[in-house]
Amino acid sequence: GGPSARDGREVLRLGHGLDPSHPVHRAMEAMADELARRTGGRLRLEIFPSEQLGSERELLELLQIGSVELTKVSASVLESFAPSFRVLGVPYLFDDTEHQWRVLEGPVGDRLLASPEAVRLRGLAFYDAGARSFYTRDRPIRTPEDLAGLKIRTQESPSAIAMVRALGGNATPISWGELYTALQQGVVDGAENNPPSFHLSHHYEVARFYSLDEHTAVPDVLLASTALWKRLGAADREHLLAAARHSARIQRRLWKEASDEALRAVREAGVQVDTVDKAPFARRTAALRDELAREPEMAELLEAIEAQRLAVTEALP
Amino acid sequence: MSGALVLLLALGLLLVLGVPVAFALGLASAAALASQIATEPALVTVAQRSVTGLDSFSLLAIPFFVLSGELLNRGGVARRLIAFGKALVGALPGGMLVVDGVACLLFGSLSGSAVAATAAVGSFLVPRMERDGYPRSATTALTMTASTTGLLIPPSNILIVYALASGGVSVAALFWAGYLPGILVGVLLVAAALLSNRRSLPRARRREPGELGRATRGALPALLLIVVVMGGITVGAFTATEAAAVAVLYSLGLCALYREIGVRELPDVFRQAAATSGVVLLLVATSMAMAWVLAFERVPQRVAETLLEAASGAAGGWLVLLGINLLLLVAGTFLDMTPAVLIFTPLFLPVVSSLGFDPVHFGIILVLNLCIGLCTPPVGTVLFVGLGVGRLGLGELLPKLLPLYAAMIVALVLVTAFPGLSLWLPRLLGL
Amino acid sequence: MSAPDDSSRFAARWRRRLDSWVGGLCAALLALMVVNVSWQVFSRYVLRDPSSVTEELARFLLIWLGLFGGAYALGRGQHVAIDALVVRLPAGWRRGTSIAASLCVLTFAISLLLFGGTRLALLVHRLDQESAALGVGLAWVYAALPLSGLVFAGFALLDLADAVRPREARE
Ligand code: NA
Ligand code: NA
Repeated sequence: GGPSARDGREVLRLGHGLDPSHPVHRAMEAMADELARRTGGRLRLEIFPSEQLGSERELLELLQIGSVELTKVSASVLESFAPSFRVLGVPYLFDDTEHQWRVLEGPVGDRLLASPEAVRLRGLAFYDAGARSFYTRDRPIRTPEDLAGLKIRTQESPSAIAMVRALGGNATPISWGELYTALQQGVVDGAENNPPSFHLSHHYEVARFYSLDEHTAVPDVLLASTALWKRLGAADREHLLAAARHSARIQRRLWKEASDEALRAVREAGVQVDTVDKAPFARRTAALRDELAREPEMAELLEAIEAQRLAVTEALP
Repeated sequence: MSGALVLLLALGLLLVLGVPVAFALGLASAAALASQIATEPALVTVAQRSVTGLDSFSLLAIPFFVLSGELLNRGGVARRLIAFGKALVGALPGGMLVVDGVACLLFGSLSGSAVAATAAVGSFLVPRMERDGYPRSATTALTMTASTTGLLIPPSNILIVYALASGGVSVAALFWAGYLPGILVGVLLVAAALLSNRRSLPRARRREPGELGRATRGALPALLLIVVVMGGITVGAFTATEAAAVAVLYSLGLCALYREIGVRELPDVFRQAAATSGVVLLLVATSMAMAWVLAFERVPQRVAETLLEAASGAAGGWLVLLGINLLLLVAGTFLDMTPAVLIFTPLFLPVVSSLGFDPVHFGIILVLNLCIGLCTPPVGTVLFVGLGVGRLGLGELLPKLLPLYAAMIVALVLVTAFPGLSLWLPRLLGL
Repeated sequence: MSAPDDSSRFAARWRRRLDSWVGGLCAALLALMVVNVSWQVFSRYVLRDPSSVTEELARFLLIWLGLFGGAYALGRGQHVAIDALVVRLPAGWRRGTSIAASLCVLTFAISLLLFGGTRLALLVHRLDQESAALGVGLAWVYAALPLSGLVFAGFALLDLADAVRPREARE
């Protein structure tokens, strides 16, 4: 028994749901190297991709149970564990990626990362998960009106369902694994995801229109169990955090490359990729933001995120 | 002691004692994990993995198809369907085995799920065929193995999983590649079943005048079930899993039509279906916990790496492929299919690609290989369903399965040796 | 009237009771599952207003059915075992293995379902975990582990009582 410590060496198990060619996995390998380098091989990271150790929600639970030490999940999955993360699901929250990363790497990001401490989780860093857009079988989504009556596969979270409904679509829960055939057979008319997922899932083979409305930009979060966090000394915590930040920097570069490559590849495969005017989409979903802002804590976070945008506008000559 | 060793020893001991497989899998997994991490998180983790192993929408096909099979049987629907089948092929010796094989192939291919096909075809054909003199063990064995052809013949979720894990293989190419190997497996299986059971099959009989017409009329409402279920999937009214619930409703309708069972008997039908499903689902739950412990201990990766190291010294690509096939056959007896595809694809695909093998061809080899594993003890979802719906012990079923395993291995050798079987159709279509 | 006779009648009565409770629960769960998934198809395909909770409810009901159905099957002696070796043993040994097997099933029920399951359900309850679509506490889903564990343990004890009792008394 006992934690997986042997002769002062410790194996930290990191489980996630993406496949080994994904930018996230490659960035984690960089994290493993960096951690081994910083600790002289005392702390060794073992990475388990492709849901080998479970789905994102299940992995969070395994961290809480104490059998797995680290994981990467979408911030939207964290919502039910640490409600503060709901703020990141607000449609059109950020002006652009610069605004997004100024927020996530600033005090708001730090506050969010520390917020699940009470539920036995410690956030280490944010990974880029791009922005999600609609893809459809029969016709492109140029305006929210184009969504009217369409059955859109939606993640099973209240905020995701509310967003698709606000835009006029019929939110339809279908498991990710069944989605390819569901699209092919017309059980649903469309779905939404970021470019690498649209490409890697092969959904582009059956959904021929990708409309870049970029409704949400929910990042991924790298987390440790508080059991591990408490077990590590102050120095090793610093090593772990530094390795996580190092990997996050690499991940953002790899993500950008993968995202561009995915768009190029689906275009080449004959998918019609449209850039759309986001303003009408933002107007239709503004109510969701207002509703969230009724909660004092959310209002405070939204304000802080807003302030990060103003900071730049003021700095302009 | 390594967790894998603890698992193997504990599992062996428990099975020899006659502990039911589902419980043996759960206890052995817990013992193995507790030898590696603290006992409390180990027990809680195995409990969590058992529940999450059941947390899958596609598993709903098991109770639904078991229930609709039970309804069709007791409601007199299955009898009419069998009469129709007999009228068609009863003149051939062992003709009903052909019907069984074709039914599994059709159902498996359209539903894309070997588990659903085994549950559906097995729970209504097996008891009926027994009354006609076909041994329960023989028909269950054929139903199980023939149902796996549906994983090769499109649509197939597991081929999509492979496309995902391979990062770049086209799903369309894989789908077309699966047709011929899938049909080949089906033909070889029916042939093997006919050969190995030739002494125990009922004798052929002559078709009576007007029998086909009568049987067809009698079976028409039941035949419409197939049209409704398959048509609904094809036009996109429902998914393959949801089709199972539609089949239950339709079967209830047929029971009302034929009035061979009353409303008062329904609770008993539901209870029986629940017990049969319980056997299968508990096996799924604890075997998923075991797959998790194996992954946690990196057993599949370690074995694969050892194999690749050994193979890198040897020359000749075919030798490596042979080694990979053997390893997958062994691994398939312990692992369920989706985790196996996700774990082995990234390990083996780069190796076989560098040796000049086509990734589409390899995908078909991989899936066909793991199809065998679905039907072998100790862990195999299709095996579990077969044991459950056939109400058989492993000791009775295994002798009938052995010749069918042999047929599948022959198919595997042919598919491996002749890439054209997989690649001819997709190349013809320019995929 | 001898004591073993009383105890065997007592055991038989409890077996019938447990069988009827759990059987009723399982039949109800299965019926609810059929209604739920049919509604999922109907609301999406006919009403064109897909329900957002049916998929999750179906999965949760399946977990309950799997565990309670497994317990029900234990009571009916339907679980699959590899009996090739056991049936070749002399009668005395066979009784020993069937006692050992029942003890293993009991250990499974107590360690994994009752202990592990209770810890798990308490963990998600304390940490306030809710399901994504229905918003029900996940503790209700995991509660199937300890609750079915009671039934598993009950049937295992009844099996154990049958195995321990001398042969004549079992007739
Ligand atoms: Na198929
Ligand atoms: Na197997």
